[in-house]
Amino acid sequence: MTNILVGILIAVLIVIVGFPLAWMALSSFKPGVELFTIPPKILPQNWSLEWYKQALGNEDVIHYFLNSLFIASVVMVADMFIGTLTAYGLTRFRFKGRKVILISVLAAYCVPPIMLMLPLYKIMNTLSLSGSHVGVIVAHLTITLPFSVWLLVSFFRKLPKEIDEAAVMDGASEIQVFTKIEMPLCVSGVLSTGIMAFIMSWNEFLLASVLISKESMKTLTVGLANYISSTHIDWGIIMALGTITTIPVIILFALVQKYFVEGMTAGAVKG
Amino acid sequence: MNSGTSLNKRRLLGSYEKKHNLIGFAFVIPVVIFLLMFVLYPVLYNVWLSFTDSSLIKKTSSFIGIQNYIKIFSNKLFFKYFWNTCKWTFWSVLGQLVLGLGIALLIARPMKGGTALRSFLLIPYVVPAVTLALVSKWILNSDYGIVSYWLQQAGLLEARQSLLAMQGPAMWVVVILNIWRSYPFPMLIYWAALKSIDGQIYEAATVDGANKWQTFVHMTLPQLKNTTIVLAVLRVIWTATYYDLIFMVTGGGPSGSTTHLPILIYQASFGSYQIGYAAAISMILGVLMFGCIIFYVTRSGLTED
Repeated sequence: MTNILVGILIAVLIVIVGFPLAWMALSSFKPGVELFTIPPKILPQNWSLEWYKQALGNEDVIHYFLNSLFIASVVMVADMFIGTLTAYGLTRFRFKGRKVILISVLAAYCVPPIMLMLPLYKIMNTLSLSGSHVGVIVAHLTITLPFSVWLLVSFFRKLPKEIDEAAVMDGASEIQVFTKIEMPLCVSGVLSTGIMAFIMSWNEFLLASVLISKESMKTLTVGLANYISSTHIDWGIIMALGTITTIPVIILFALVQKYFVEGMTAGAVKG
Repeated sequence: MNSGTSLNKRRLLGSYEKKHNLIGFAFVIPVVIFLLMFVLYPVLYNVWLSFTDSSLIKKTSSFIGIQNYIKIFSNKLFFKYFWNTCKWTFWSVLGQLVLGLGIALLIARPMKGGTALRSFLLIPYVVPAVTLALVSKWILNSDYGIVSYWLQQAGLLEARQSLLAMQGPAMWVVVILNIWRSYPFPMLIYWAALKSIDGQIYEAATVDGANKWQTFVHMTLPQLKNTTIVLAVLRVIWTATYYDLIFMVTGGGPSGSTTHLPILIYQASFGSYQIGYAAAISMILGVLMFGCIIFYVTRSGLTED
């Protein structure tokens, strides 16, 4: 009896979670006539790629895609590099002010983008970085870096310190301990953190929309948001673009899920 | 191991640790500099801006004291938008915590394909807000939206009408969408918390004749109290300041019924270019959130080793 009830609840959940995404993907394969028939049919009667052809035939769209890819990749690498250094320093050493830095990183993690929007906009203008991808990358680092540091700290905490000490006894330097011992042990953790940063940057909208105004410099989310707020909405193209934007994210997330779950449950909220 | 080498080891590690501490600091310097330049400085800069008549369309700006704040509090609409922020935040957070806990209870039990199910249920966490926005605008489209069609067929909605164009329901739509995209985080945290509860207490309770509901209320819930408080505070911070979804789905409309403070900040900045005024609104939001942040940072237990 309970098993049947649980089964039904799970089925309902799967539908609620899956329906919006499935509906978007299905709509993107429907030719124009079918998109606007009433009552709507669930499955496309004639599968069509016409919206994908139109979307990808648009030069702006290609730019959006490449811009997002570039920005998110740089953010990912920067997060992995700075984040690993920081997490290593915070978990392996006991220096003065260490606690203050731990707390600051956690507080920075809580500072919302809307609070940073205006000052960052002004600062990037002053530094002549507005309209450039550098500005967006820095802005995305303010969001992703504190998150990455926390995730990485939880990975590094799990590694036994005794290995370090044994290596030091054998005459290894700090740098060697870091590069030869710690790094190989947490490659997967660091890579997963980087991919999460990539996803966050790829998905980010507010700061990217404020810092970039030139069409060819915009990111996918910003370009797409412009399409859906215009008066004439080209639904087919939008569904295709939405699908193109979402699929890479879901694939990447599937790859790093295991580490994400481990890191978040160890590090995000302790009761 | 004889005492000689052990002493030697201690001496070696001792001097190692001293040198070590300086090097440790060197490792964190990049992040410290970055946070000072691009998080702390902007926050302080925002405080300064809120006391100026700074604008995007004129070159100079001057200190005007608390005039921006007076202007905000003498504007009746501000209170309406503030109240919208409260509604949006309260229902979104309540919804995602309840749903997150419910699903966590459902998937915490061992079952076939449990990991796959959990992975699937985490997907909304990474779905871009813009995707959710475009799908919801499509399914709620007054003429061709499938959900609108169902509601119209059921007689809940007049023909050619959309929930997004109606003042009352628009807020509920964005709240529900927000719950859809944000329940995975509480789900994950509750799931981990449930796993860590010692199973033996349940056995003892069952032996004592407690039914499932009783064990849940008297044993499970009290154990989740701290998790819930910390989680709720964190989610309040994220939700009250979350801009993207409302902006893309309703843009704050119809007639301001879904305008909350983040939307207002944006409109004041890039709609009317009064960034001093906008900075003051974001200060008000910021001060409220600051309390939450302090609470979260001290209560989360994350900075303990």
